[in-house]
Amino acid sequence: MKIRDLLGSTALALGLAFGSVSGASAWSLKEAAAPYAGTTVDVVFLLRPGYEAIEAMLPEFEEETGIKINIIKHPYENALGEQVRDFVAGGDLDIALIDLVWIGNFAENEWIVPISKFTSDPALADPDLDMDDFFPLVLNAFGGWNGEIYGLPFDNYSGLLFYNTCMLEEAGFDGPPETWADLKDVYGPALTKDGKYAYALQSKRNETQSADSFARVLWPFGGSFLDENFRSNLLSEESQAGLQFRQDLMQYMPDGIVAYDHAETVNAFGQGDVAMITEWSAFYSTVVNPETSKVADCVAIAPEPMGPAGRKPALGGFSLAVAAQADDAEQAAGYLFIQWATSKANAGEYLERGGVPARQSAYADPALAETYTFIPALVESWQDGVPEFRPRFAEWPEITEIVQEWGTKIMLGEVSTVEGAEELGTRMEAVLEDAGYYSGDKPLAQ
Amino acid sequence: MRGKVSRKTIFAFLGPSVIALALIGIAPLLYALWTSLHFFNLTKLRRVKFIGLENYGEVLTDGAFWQAMGRTFYLLALSLPLQLALGMGIALILHKPGLTLLKTLARLSLVLPMATTYAVVGLLGQVMFNQKFGVINQFLSPFGGGSINWIGDSSNAFIMIVFWDVWQWTPFVALVLLAGLTMVPGEVEEAARLETKRWWTILRYVQLPFLMPGLVAVLILRTADTLKLFDMVFTLTRGGPGSSTELISLMIQRVGFRAFDQGLASAQAIILLIITIILAQIYIRVFYREV
Repeated sequence: MKIRDLLGSTALALGLAFGSVSGASAWSLKEAAAPYAGTTVDVVFLLRPGYEAIEAMLPEFEEETGIKINIIKHPYENALGEQVRDFVAGGDLDIALIDLVWIGNFAENEWIVPISKFTSDPALADPDLDMDDFFPLVLNAFGGWNGEIYGLPFDNYSGLLFYNTCMLEEAGFDGPPETWADLKDVYGPALTKDGKYAYALQSKRNETQSADSFARVLWPFGGSFLDENFRSNLLSEESQAGLQFRQDLMQYMPDGIVAYDHAETVNAFGQGDVAMITEWSAFYSTVVNPETSKVADCVAIAPEPMGPAGRKPALGGFSLAVAAQADDAEQAAGYLFIQWATSKANAGEYLERGGVPARQSAYADPALAETYTFIPALVESWQDGVPEFRPRFAEWPEITEIVQEWGTKIMLGEVSTVEGAEELGTRMEAVLEDAGYYSGDKPLAQ
Repeated sequence: MRGKVSRKTIFAFLGPSVIALALIGIAPLLYALWTSLHFFNLTKLRRVKFIGLENYGEVLTDGAFWQAMGRTFYLLALSLPLQLALGMGIALILHKPGLTLLKTLARLSLVLPMATTYAVVGLLGQVMFNQKFGVINQFLSPFGGGSINWIGDSSNAFIMIVFWDVWQWTPFVALVLLAGLTMVPGEVEEAARLETKRWWTILRYVQLPFLMPGLVAVLILRTADTLKLFDMVFTLTRGGPGSSTELISLMIQRVGFRAFDQGLASAQAIILLIITIILAQIYIRVFYREV
């Protein structure tokens, strides 16, 4: 009996050991998702190419896992408000779509779950997840807060210079401007004529004004929103130089540039009315598609021009994180979707379908750069970007409203750059004081 | 008469309406009042606290709030007289005898702008007033106005808002005034026409007294509508460029749902409500007379 027991327990132990080993080596999405088949996961998507790309790939995921992904589409402008209301009300969202400037807000409110909860679970974590394969800057800026990773980079942008080679060649240029000063002083006068403009800087009074316009001229000139003590840095010589540069550059932009959002700017470029734009990499597929761009054959991409402080290109993008309000099954199913959507294995197809993955391995093949001409500039930007291009703390929604209002007033000439910066600084500091940064109640974290 | 109706019957008839009104109208109002007395930011719910009238103080001393309020009243001051003048003209034309079929068609077509959703009007405006391919600039190009920047210029954007408000709500004014004109007894109007051929005299002394209730209703409704005008402007300009078309309702939405400061936004909304009630009372006391 004892021998039988011994043999039996030995066999069981060996079986478990081999079973676990074979289980680890044979991790599959299908098996990991089996307990969650039939679960519906609610997620917010934007009306942008990267989301259409993953949506087109979705049937494969749903078929393999039995998990249903319920996509709720919003324009960018509504996405934050819709999600905040859902989380405050304890709604249905199981995955949060997080712009990099929302991460502090979402994390501090505990609306999202650290990714380690799932990556530490062998039943859920794909052994090929390879977190080190994400561009470190992108992973930390888009999905990280206070040393903890919450979201995996999903819809990833860097500011790039899109230029019309045909227009530039016609004006006698054999390449794009290397510096912002050249763009204004050399390319600007030569390309602004006959109803065409050298450049368009999307500056509509929404996040576009803060992220794409205001911040874009601060960093390359050595400026910033805040100094190391979280006091306004907008009156510094460098910040003022950047803001004044934007005012001077406006003469080479279309009239009413303060009403231009991404759509108007990309359209102006796509229609051949504007020779250069600095836009997110996500719009690459739009401007090279002959159905949406008249200048598809003339499009070339370069990194954003350099300022006195270096290149400092715009950085933006989204991560996906599991929502704390979801139940256990929805959280697990949600994580499996995020892991799949951002995986190394799917990065190539995501790229082909118009998305921009944040996987370094996806861009390793030099041949890809011939097909996707934005890749070298993108990779360079992600190695040279500024994580705090816009502050990522919880107070950003209030501060961006102030930047949007006064940034636009500056552009319209209703106030000077100094007056605008003074007002902006006073209001920004009031928000930060109220939040407790100056009293020491809150760490100066970005 | 009153003694014959039981309390149960009265409650049965009035009760559902009162309960519905309390649930839909009064409860949210009370909640807004409560919120306005608190620091209540949706992204900082752990810090909700009673702050008394602090939000009201901030609103009343905020230049941006009064600028938005001024902009809203400026819109009202520009669009309401235009709507009244054009509406009166249309009503008087439709009130004239003859051309019955055409007048019926005209009355029907007057309903179309009112039936158009505000947001659709805003989107239509975006397309029609587009600087490059909009039909308005195409139409104006023979007169030298083919490249007017409507949406990106502060003054032009405001003119555009006035245009669409007048387009959408002049028919409403016309129909209300037309209904008022039909109240004028035919024999009185006929007698007046025998006395004088001056249309202004007839309008002033015979028709206008019958139009007053309708005019007061128009004043109150259009004032309230303008004070809360949101959808059309939001879809058309989003309050821009800059703040040039940021009406008070857009500002409240921005504070409440983009900066998530529900307490401050509620205080703004309560102040707006008080202003609306005061204006309605003034209209009734100054203009309203029983015929």
